[in-house]
Amino acid sequence: MKRGEIVLERFDKPFVEEILATVIKYGGDFADVFVEDRYSTNIDLKNGKVELAQTGRMFGIGIRGFLDDKAIYAYTNDLSRENVLAVAKRVGEALGEVRLRDFSIDLRKKELYNKHFVLLKPEQVSKETKVGYMKKAYEAAKNYSPIIAQVVIRYWDYDQNVLIANSEGVFVTDNRVRTRLMINAVAVKDGQMESGFYGPGAGMGPEYLEKIDVEQAGIRAARIAVRMVDAQPAPAGKMTVVISNEFGGVIFHEAVGHALEASSVARGMSVFAGKLGQQVATECVSAVDDATIPNAWGSANIDDEGAPTQRIKLIENGVLKGYMIDKLGSRRMGMPSTGSGRRQDYTFAPTSRMSNTFILPGDHHPEEIIASVEYGLYAKTMGGGSVNPATGEFNFAVNEGYLIENGKISKPVKGATLIGKGYEIIQKIEMVGNDVSRGQGMCGSYSGSIPADVGQPTIKLREIIVGGRNA
Amino acid sequence: MTLEQFKDKIFSLAKANGVEAQIGYSQNKNFQVRYQNGEMDQYTDAGKFKITIQILKDGKIGMSYTERLDEPEKVFEDALSNISIIDSEDVEYFYDGKGEYLNIEPYDGSFERLSVKERISYAERAHEEIRKSADIINDMAVYGQQMNEMRLSNTLGLDVSYVSGGGFMYAMAVAKDLSPRSAVEFAIGRSPDALDPVHVGSKARDESLALVGSKSVKSGKYGVILRNDVFSDILGMLISMISAENAQKNLSPLKGKIGEKIGSDVLNIKDLPYHPLSISSSPFDTQGVPTKEKKIIENGVFKTFLHNLKTAKKDGVEPTGNAMGTGIQTINLYVEPGSKSFNELLETLSDGLVIIEIEGMHSGANPISGNFSLGAKAFRVEGGKITHGVEQITISGNFLEMLKNIEELGSDLRAFMGIINPSVLISSLDIAGNN
Repeated sequence: MKRGEIVLERFDKPFVEEILATVIKYGGDFADVFVEDRYSTNIDLKNGKVELAQTGRMFGIGIRGFLDDKAIYAYTNDLSRENVLAVAKRVGEALGEVRLRDFSIDLRKKELYNKHFVLLKPEQVSKETKVGYMKKAYEAAKNYSPIIAQVVIRYWDYDQNVLIANSEGVFVTDNRVRTRLMINAVAVKDGQMESGFYGPGAGMGPEYLEKIDVEQAGIRAARIAVRMVDAQPAPAGKMTVVISNEFGGVIFHEAVGHALEASSVARGMSVFAGKLGQQVATECVSAVDDATIPNAWGSANIDDEGAPTQRIKLIENGVLKGYMIDKLGSRRMGMPSTGSGRRQDYTFAPTSRMSNTFILPGDHHPEEIIASVEYGLYAKTMGGGSVNPATGEFNFAVNEGYLIENGKISKPVKGATLIGKGYEIIQKIEMVGNDVSRGQGMCGSYSGSIPADVGQPTIKLREIIVGGRNA
Repeated sequence: MTLEQFKDKIFSLAKANGVEAQIGYSQNKNFQVRYQNGEMDQYTDAGKFKITIQILKDGKIGMSYTERLDEPEKVFEDALSNISIIDSEDVEYFYDGKGEYLNIEPYDGSFERLSVKERISYAERAHEEIRKSADIINDMAVYGQQMNEMRLSNTLGLDVSYVSGGGFMYAMAVAKDLSPRSAVEFAIGRSPDALDPVHVGSKARDESLALVGSKSVKSGKYGVILRNDVFSDILGMLISMISAENAQKNLSPLKGKIGEKIGSDVLNIKDLPYHPLSISSSPFDTQGVPTKEKKIIENGVFKTFLHNLKTAKKDGVEPTGNAMGTGIQTINLYVEPGSKSFNELLETLSDGLVIIEIEGMHSGANPISGNFSLGAKAFRVEGGKITHGVEQITISGNFLEMLKNIEELGSDLRAFMGIINPSVLISSLDIAGNN
């Protein structure tokens, strides 16, 4: 039996109807289920040798009930009929009030139009083939420079089958396949150690490894490590900063994106709550969250609540246009779901999350943007970051940085962190480039760690605090 | 199929194939409730199990895991076939369970006996406490408890089990100001009486109010106190540096430095299998090796790396009982307290900053080089007293240089996530703020 069919065999329509009905019989006015069967492969290559090879399967169900805007969630992987129904009953009872005495659940199986065509399932490609690509990337990184002391390469793929159903009649299955290569190179010189990272991924099968140039990927990580080992500490204080495209978009993700998720907005916790239609950014800023991009790392046909995904306009010419809303957020805010309910796996209740979030291109050439800066920092490669959506305070790391002096990129600098407040920083974006692209990351929040793309063209911030060392 | 049958099947498959096998079984129970502004925002009550299989053949280990008991053959095949791509020269081992295990009290499940009403009252009471001030505009209160039953057995005779667990609370208060001011407080405990929602709520509230009117400070070098919760976060870097695996792979700046002075004279750090404040204690590590107390830094001198079976053999030393999955981890990283109270530390500092929150450890701190640059919140200390809140600054430095600059340790021990430590006073740290 094919993987996807096993879920449907264990959880056929009558059984799923019974689970949903059990929740509502004991309490609440809405119920949904999320069944997941996921097969993953992890391979670690250190110093050119495979050190770890692990495959595994998770298979469980999450059951949720609502009573107005109160939500109760439970999950289990003891999938015996008695246990699943007992968990459903516990969810209903925890909601505490039987709202619907007469109800019927009529599940209608919806066939999806698949926008994310996968050529090869992870299990169709041998582990040896996957390792072959990892070794190619390793060789390229290692041979980039004699000062590369260590290269760690991690490979990860998974094949996830989900069945999502709810008491409003949704009954839908989907298959998500993702593949990612993560390369960490370490350069050592005169006792100084610095590392460089590059982690391309996609909503594709292992054919992705053929599509990208794994050798170039290895070189890219090595190049950062080699550049940074010679770098001086970054200067400290407020200055103009140009942030390069692709993973540079992590600034929008952290500074603004999280605060536009219903989980922050619905209870008024976000600094952007109640600001729809207002000018929140400079006019050159437009941004979207788009889970419909074919085969992108953060894409899916439907969200983890069974709603079709969308391209959501977040900001248009500086005006706040929309939020990312899940089902519960939709109830709390009185606005429709945007198909943004996501979760790491069945052990997490879904909540509003980003998918592929990026700033749209502007008019300027990246060179023109750098030329406009007399003195500042050029953040070429960004690391991760984090934010407190309640205050808008964010921080993120610059993994590869350079000084800009008299409109030209001068010497490399390391150890810079950028901090600020999201709602202030988007009012300081002065120029937006025409070179938009996206990079891949894992985003951690209430519903776990999920694949998400960040992205932007090159942008210029008038001023931001750079955390570096004082001379 | 029962777990016992599953295990027997795997072990007999191992025998038939002439390999060794190890099974890890964990059964987890997890309850969590989150309130935002007094409204229940999230409620999870759940449990699951996971079985991990390791197959050992010619010194190589292949791994697989499953959440189904009905396919031992597939799980065995997967693990066995994963061995075929391993080409590391490292030699892997299983442990036979013949060592001496410490008698560490397992978790007594005391939180499991609380009713749902009692559980959510922790979050509700924290919320009520925070809202005693009219200047609070937003708040969050979280209560959770978990229990994990772990069993590990292998074909060499190892068969050990342990139950761990406890409860935790988290509260965030946001005070009204031109820019909203947030503060958080948390608590963990092995029994319900160790959690005080009024204390957690009031600490978060009072700190957010104290931050009203925060401003940045001039960039420069400052004497600082890293408050215990902040020092705990930053100590995560040390755990990566003292892993023998990282040292053997050239990923630790402490490589080759055993016996060298790496910290200030007053610094003493141990790894403890058990501490009463912690909910992370265990009599054995994830390879089944007994855990034991060991000195990591004594009077500033680096004493030992932490080992699993593989790294110990490679270095020709005894394993230290610190295997954690495929990596190496402390059980309870314990920093010995000093004699001064927090207030006495303030007086000693006299002029500087108390760092009360850092952000960005996962991105702004590099355990390979030891360099860090992190967003921070602080209080300005002048004349030995806190004068005002400080926002929008970063702290930067090198972790190992910082250990050398520790002047004093406080007496205010606190435990979180397997790290138990006091506040520390550092003579000088780079601060970026206003020009």
